[in-house]
Amino acid sequence: MRVALAQSSARLGDVKANAAGHLETLDRARRAKADLVVFPELSLTGYTLRDLAEEVALDPHSDPLFRKIVSRCRGISAVVGFMEERSEEKGIFYNSAAFISERRILHIHRKVFLPTNGMFDEARFYAAGREFRTFDTPFGRAGLLICRDFLHYGSSYALYSGGADMIICVSAAPGRGVAGGQAFETSRMWELMGEAMSYFSTAFVIYANRVGIEDGVTFAGGSYIYGPGGRLLVRASSLEPELLIHRLDFAAVREARRKWVFKRDEKPEIVLRSLERVVRAPED
Amino acid sequence: MPPKINASFVEKILTRFIRDELAKCGFCKGILGLSGGLDSAVCASLAARALGPRNVLGLIMPYGQSFPEDVRDALRLAKTLGLRSEVIDIAPQVDVYFSAHPTRSRLLRGNKMARERMAILYDHSSRENALVLGTSNKTELLIGYGTICGDLACAINPMGDLYKSQVRELAAHLRIPVAIRRKAPTAGLWPGQTDEGEIGLAYAELDEILFGLVDQKKSRAEMIGAGHKPGRVDRVMRLIRRSEFKRRLPPIAKLSARSVGHDFLYPFDWGK
Repeated sequence: MRVALAQSSARLGDVKANAAGHLETLDRARRAKADLVVFPELSLTGYTLRDLAEEVALDPHSDPLFRKIVSRCRGISAVVGFMEERSEEKGIFYNSAAFISERRILHIHRKVFLPTNGMFDEARFYAAGREFRTFDTPFGRAGLLICRDFLHYGSSYALYSGGADMIICVSAAPGRGVAGGQAFETSRMWELMGEAMSYFSTAFVIYANRVGIEDGVTFAGGSYIYGPGGRLLVRASSLEPELLIHRLDFAAVREARRKWVFKRDEKPEIVLRSLERVVRAPED
Repeated sequence: MPPKINASFVEKILTRFIRDELAKCGFCKGILGLSGGLDSAVCASLAARALGPRNVLGLIMPYGQSFPEDVRDALRLAKTLGLRSEVIDIAPQVDVYFSAHPTRSRLLRGNKMARERMAILYDHSSRENALVLGTSNKTELLIGYGTICGDLACAINPMGDLYKSQVRELAAHLRIPVAIRRKAPTAGLWPGQTDEGEIGLAYAELDEILFGLVDQKKSRAEMIGAGHKPGRVDRVMRLIRRSEFKRRLPPIAKLSARSVGHDFLYPFDWGK
């Protein structure tokens, strides 16, 4: 399976222009024989939406621009980020990502952990998603995470326990810290998590981050894929838009799980019981 | 001290920022005031790399003959970088005003001059179809060391998150002439003025205190525990608090359900 990381920028609040960009990228990726294109968080809208959120929100099952993207996903799959307003939940806005395959939406993940501190104010504008769920794709079982979701490691554990062969994280992570090399210091945090999660969940970790600048904030790029067992397979630059394509061999998941028996010996029921106690008696 | 920066990486980010922000607004040219000092030299050099030197206009705006060396350094820099430049003496317009409204205050005169330069920059911005590039650094912004509606006025500011000491690092990387890098920093409000003399603190210590208070969110007690004199820490804290108005749009009296500046929160880069 060939994955294309669409490390890209967006035109803030202009879904029409961004949708056109998505179609173009899908065509390019198809020509390059990619099977899956992963766009970053809120790829259809841009990140710094604030009050724009409700104006660019859409229902992926009825919005014409979104349907156009869905119908273009023939012989190719895509993960697309967007601001969601479901017809069943009018007036509630989610930071969502959809996995689209063979002209069908296989799964929608709504961001659970909304960063609302320092430079971030997502919870002021968006509702939080309420679950992490794996789903089957033509390539294997997958799980979706959006940006901050990935930094709470329980999220990856939930997907791992659900049998994910690949954890896909779409992101709009701004860069901070310029004392290091040719990358923002905060990029290290993302790589550290990617390495650790791929190692211990013996799954692929696919991370697609944004580049570009919004309101003075530079997004840190550095999209990557880690193979099961913590091996860095490919990494994009910090600042440039790229369509980075890499072939994944799912035999590597079997290989890693045979070698390291974490998955075989996992005891989610004990973890769950322990968590239930914590949740029931948070004061203990 | 504020951490050392990777100057070549910062250069990449800031040149991209200048190019992107201008392009988003439909501009390809930048304009800035060249004082002959460090900050404007760094900004000019970044702009030249981002936009191409011929797309950068450096205006050199001395008050009469008061700082001949600075004019000479600014001209030399413009030539080295290949910028377009122009010298405009602001003495006539400033003198007309002060002959009608005399004052002995050097600060009043200095602020007036900064605002005349702003007005000239914005006039040329329009004539030239070029956006005004700000040159205030993080140190100045945090303590409010700038004239409101004067040198603080700009369309974009590439340097506002770099402390003075970091601007120096970037300057060395950009090969800003030594004559400019060695100069004592001055706002040029009057002859003999230096920033450090007027602020009452050396930049090295000022940056250190600011970095502790702002970036590391240290408390007054922690700063004093780290060896800074209580009077100096208090002074810097007071400067930060007192100058918030210079870092924001003025407060708007909220009356309606949706008010500019309160809960009408569109991004700056909307649709760009």
